[in-house]
Amino acid sequence: MSLSQRQLALLLIAPGLALVAALFLYPLFFSLVSAFTGPDGGFSLQSFGKAWELYSGDVVFTVVIVLASCFFTGLAAIVIAGTLTLGENRWIVGTLKALYRWPLFIPFIVAAQCMRTFLAKNGLMNNSFVSLGLIEPLQAVSFLDWRGIIATFVWKQTPFVALLLAGALAAIDRATLEAGRNLGASRIRVLIELALPQVMPTLLVALVLSFVTMLSVLSVPMMVAGSQPTMLTVDMAFRINAYGDYATANALGVITYLISAGAAIIYLRRGMAQEGAR
Amino acid sequence: MRILTLACSLAALIAASPLSAQTLNVASAGDQNMVDYVKDYLAPMFEKAHPGVKVVSVGTGPGDSGSQKIYEKLDAQKGANATDFDVVVIHQKAAGQMVKEGLLNKYTGNVDTAKLVSSETAKNSLGADVAGYVIPMFQSQTALAYNADMLKNPPNNFAELAEWVKKNPKQFGYNGIKGGMSGVAFVAGWVYAFGGDADKLIQGPYDAAEKAKWDKAFAALKDFNRNVVITPGNAGTLDMLNRGEIAMGPVWVDMFYSWQADGKLPPNMKLKLAAPGMPGQPMYYAVPEKSAQKKLAEEFIALATSPQVQADGIVKKFNWYPGIDAKNLEGKLDKAAWDKLFTDITPADLSKNAKPFPIAPYFNDILEGYEKKVAN
Repeated sequence: MSLSQRQLALLLIAPGLALVAALFLYPLFFSLVSAFTGPDGGFSLQSFGKAWELYSGDVVFTVVIVLASCFFTGLAAIVIAGTLTLGENRWIVGTLKALYRWPLFIPFIVAAQCMRTFLAKNGLMNNSFVSLGLIEPLQAVSFLDWRGIIATFVWKQTPFVALLLAGALAAIDRATLEAGRNLGASRIRVLIELALPQVMPTLLVALVLSFVTMLSVLSVPMMVAGSQPTMLTVDMAFRINAYGDYATANALGVITYLISAGAAIIYLRRGMAQEGAR
Repeated sequence: MRILTLACSLAALIAASPLSAQTLNVASAGDQNMVDYVKDYLAPMFEKAHPGVKVVSVGTGPGDSGSQKIYEKLDAQKGANATDFDVVVIHQKAAGQMVKEGLLNKYTGNVDTAKLVSSETAKNSLGADVAGYVIPMFQSQTALAYNADMLKNPPNNFAELAEWVKKNPKQFGYNGIKGGMSGVAFVAGWVYAFGGDADKLIQGPYDAAEKAKWDKAFAALKDFNRNVVITPGNAGTLDMLNRGEIAMGPVWVDMFYSWQADGKLPPNMKLKLAAPGMPGQPMYYAVPEKSAQKKLAEEFIALATSPQVQADGIVKKFNWYPGIDAKNLEGKLDKAAWDKLFTDITPADLSKNAKPFPIAPYFNDILEGYEKKVAN
């Protein structure tokens, strides 16, 4: 018996498909069912009503935090990748190259723990500023709130985005950039007007992936900031831990799915557009 | 094929042969200090007295969520022959539920030290009858910690506290209700103070209409929250007190003393139990119904609740109030160690202002009311 090409292909992807089905589709289906099931066992939107009543503020908070983090991550990554590609001072480029990837290897929870003492009102950062004479001790404020969450996310995700972006920048045709330089454009102008538009798809993909990653982090909002307002992951954990209330937690999960679906649509559209261009 | 058969029979042999070493699995809900207590203090002592036994201590996380994880594990293994845990250390809310669902073993009759406990909490856990199923490991209490250098006269009651916070914005910090029990205790204390009849919440019976009376208290708390710092967790509050970022905040008394003894809090910090009081709670030792090592588990708990261990470990080393009646500790403890427990909060304060948490249904109503009307 010999397998046809088609059967063989199916056989080859079967383990992967089975994994996706068992570890993603099945739990997804299960949590969807639980989110839409009322206390009497029938279909109900009650969990969503409760989720909205208790956590509407946190939904908005989560979206704002993650979007802001994406924005600053993108900005920082452009600066780093741009410097790596167009920088002319070898010493600066070398140092940056050696340093910028480090946060990639540090887990979120470790980063959060470091930020707890670094960003506190009388923490390392403010104390350094005070001893440098930059601020008065009384001016010191704590960053252990939404700003701390954004700072941790940006610190953690920037290397990832910068890595992808620097790779894409290195791959574009340098002749266009050099032509721009020869015609007298400044390096910043070359970066913004010539280089970035060519790597926009990569930047977008990197940011979409960061968006989804940040949406799912529990440790950072839990450790860095107080609980009001907080991100949806913390609310889900609390719902389950304090009440054993899976229905509302799953409703919050569905809301998170919807938020990340927004990002996924951008991602897929990009992919389709590229496929179409080929 | 032959190799496979060989391997299988070998594996079967290993699995079937009686293990010479026994393992006692102890799961503790609660902060890290409780896991440390079992791991570093109780376990070595028990292993020494029982050669060949190994005690494995796991922590399941702080607050009721830690107990919830133990509950879910026991519930999931209800149909199995044996559970993974032999001794569990749990909170009050979970204890009532576990007893009701038959997940715990009625063991205290087999343990002599159970006779040394007469406190109400050993029988009644937030309204649920748990007599026979639990022995308190310790009793702990929440109170307001404050920096005596920054304020000389701490508020005597919650109304004075609200007044003080208004005058000193961002000098009071607590961890809300999602970051550990000290914040939950503070919120419960607030409802006791401003939500009407505290005794009814503590003793029951449950009346679903009661929560409507708390609206004013929650509105006031929302207002109060504008001038406070929300800290990340029980330890977060202590951290901020330590760094001088806040001057006052609710803490667990035991954690407070332990941190102070470790030099992690300035010596000028003091405690105050403001009227009408804040909740405290015991942690319970319990044995799961399906534990494979019931006898060993009972021996472990007997050791843990013996007067000497309660004196040295619970009171002296970890600064908790004893789980067994205090009179049994007489002669086991030097006076200095005993007095240290009552430096700031006297036994009279305790008897007047140390309250239990509300019964479970009110407790859930308070938490949910807080989420609905204060946090969102």
